[in-house]
Amino acid sequence: MDNDQAAADLELVRGIKAGEDSAFEKMVERYHARVYSLAYGVLRNPEDAEEATQDAFWTLYRKIGTFDESKKFFSWFYRVALNAAYSRARRRPSLPTTSIEDRMPRFLGDGHFAADVPDWSVAIEDEAAARELAKKAGEFIAELPPAYRDVIWMYDVEEMPSADIAETLEISIPAFKSRLHRARLYVRQRLSELQGPKPAAKPSATPAAEAAG
Amino acid sequence: MSHDEKTCQELVLDCLLDFEEGTMPEADRVELQRHFEMCPPCLNFLTTYRATGRTLKMLKPREIPPALAETVIVFVRKRCKKEGG
Repeated sequence: MDNDQAAADLELVRGIKAGEDSAFEKMVERYHARVYSLAYGVLRNPEDAEEATQDAFWTLYRKIGTFDESKKFFSWFYRVALNAAYSRARRRPSLPTTSIEDRMPRFLGDGHFAADVPDWSVAIEDEAAARELAKKAGEFIAELPPAYRDVIWMYDVEEMPSADIAETLEISIPAFKSRLHRARLYVRQRLSELQGPKPAAKPSATPAAEAAG
Repeated sequence: MSHDEKTCQELVLDCLLDFEEGTMPEADRVELQRHFEMCPPCLNFLTTYRATGRTLKMLKPREIPPALAETVIVFVRKRCKKEGG
């Protein structure tokens, strides 16, 4: 996010703090689509995403006084939006989570792949088939622990700049990259499994710890 | 693959992201490119890693509810009144 946008945000923040309705309305106009899209990534349902968007702006309205103006507004507000979405997600039955570790590529001791690596990329050349795969990819993202899900949604789906994501999630760039790559490897593997027999990956005996890296 | 070059494992686990994002020194990028040219499994992995990325780009919700901004403003006004804000 560039300096002009940050300055425009700050002007609106000060307006809201001063009780100007028009500043709040402009802020809604400016951010509602991005907040909705972020919430949709967590909730994957239009009604829930809409309600989480309302919650996020309600929190913005009430808590703007706590926003530290030396920080970037967008990162504060995206955290508010993610919290609003996760708060709604917790009210729903939770999805079974899978171990990322079980879906990482397997290698032999000499560093070669332990199984064949089929090229299924032709499957996305057909528009309808690609949409179907995208729907599945959305379900696979939802299986990820939030630390991974947020990163892959914000970067690969929302196409936010990596520095903005790291700042929003309050993580380092190396941690951002590590999470993004592992999330992509997971989704790639899950998509691969749709294309044919499951590769001869050995399920690990003990579930690996999903430490946010 | 000679021993001073990266293994498939190192390439996939440690280098693929930087290769794809263009955040890798040129010499390393050239070395990896050579590996991909000579190693069909890694090339297939790269191709499907890219296909995964293209698939994910299709997930962005295309339709923002048309009156969402207005709905949000009305919602916040009502909550304000209700809570005496």
